[in-house]
Amino acid sequence: MVIALERVLLRFSLPIVAALFLLTIGCVFFWVPTDAGLGLSQRIFYYHVPAATVSFLGFGAGGVASALFLANGRSEWDMAARASISVAMVFATMVLVTGSIWARTAWGTWWTWDARLTTFLVLWMLFASYGLLRSFARGTELGSRYAAVLAIAGTLNIPLVMMATRLWRTIHPQVIANPQGGIQDPAMRATLGLSMIAFLVLFAMLWALQLRVLRLGAKIEVLLLEAVEGGNQR
Amino acid sequence: MLAVIWKDLMLEARGRETIASLFVLGLLVLVLFNFAVDIDASNVASIAPGILWIAIVFSATLALGRAFAIERENGCMTGLLLAPLDRGSLYLAKLIVNVLVLLIFEALLLPFFVLLFGLGISAALPHLLLVLLAGTIGLGAVGTLFALAALGTRARELMLPLLILPLQIPLLIAAVRASDMVLKGASVLALGAWGNLLVGFDVLFVTAGWLVFEYMTVD
Repeated sequence: MVIALERVLLRFSLPIVAALFLLTIGCVFFWVPTDAGLGLSQRIFYYHVPAATVSFLGFGAGGVASALFLANGRSEWDMAARASISVAMVFATMVLVTGSIWARTAWGTWWTWDARLTTFLVLWMLFASYGLLRSFARGTELGSRYAAVLAIAGTLNIPLVMMATRLWRTIHPQVIANPQGGIQDPAMRATLGLSMIAFLVLFAMLWALQLRVLRLGAKIEVLLLEAVEGGNQR
Repeated sequence: MLAVIWKDLMLEARGRETIASLFVLGLLVLVLFNFAVDIDASNVASIAPGILWIAIVFSATLALGRAFAIERENGCMTGLLLAPLDRGSLYLAKLIVNVLVLLIFEALLLPFFVLLFGLGISAALPHLLLVLLAGTIGLGAVGTLFALAALGTRARELMLPLLILPLQIPLLIAAVRASDMVLKGASVLALGAWGNLLVGFDVLFVTAGWLVFEYMTVD
């Protein structure tokens, strides 16, 4: 199932991603009206918000795939989880960077310990440690299981982190006013929706590519092992 | 299960290595923070709970790393796994030992904490102890689960804190806030959301550890 999905995505997604992103960039820079209150800097939202959504989905999907891997022990689910989390990490990094740039122009500071920002940073660190575990664990079945347990624990932890940071913020003075007013303008909504779809398809494509890389890597390892054994027999 | 708990406790009672090193490390953290942060009578009440928990979290990381390392060094891991004991119970046994060791360490550290920061806590003591217990169970639950995982990687000692500290963040926030409230005279029963978060974290991770530990030990 995972492998079939990978094949379909790799065959068809590139032109779709290219077209969607050209359209999105056109909309963001030439069509959508400039926000009255926030000015030009608000345009970064069309990258920031979709990237955040996609990275949440990617981490969640990674957690689910990890649980499936533990349940049935098939390595394709393990690789699917690994690919999903590593691509989601790229998007999460993008969220932090675009968020910081925007915060600098809008709030005058690169970072504040606001509940949302803190939650996202903790999430980023959680899955950064997943990446470290993957590179430090020897490429064994057991290593994959450890990583799967970490991904599940990380996913379970997300609501607790949200709850803790939100409570923690409420007892501290709120430094900045909440900028969320909700987008009303139809052109803005359309652009955000378009950008959301573009990011989703991009995520799917990168996920498939990463999965292919992981699978080929595993195949090479098997071939190498066979070659070494063949050499020993001769 | 009782046998495993008894064995580990005897080992600790005879050697006393872990608790002694934990105690010294915890004390060091308390002293280091005195230099790192400018503490005086006006801010000590708001800073002290955080320092106490940082000392506990760092020392706990050290202790948890030892939980399975002793089995490995002595080549006893296979024996433990072959014992007629399901893996969930093995996890619970190790968790109980870890929590007990940490509680003893905290009991030793607490007088020095009170002394060094000049806090009057006699009235708050029973409440603080309950917060410490809840926090320690949470730290132990996450730590015991991943101590085994860290052992299976190349950079063992390096890996454990990287794995457990991010997971422990919500617990740490709740424990620090709850200790702060308790030290300021609140009752354990009046902790509201912080208390729920502490207990919720404990229940979630003890259950999760008990359920998934099996997958981390089968070879």
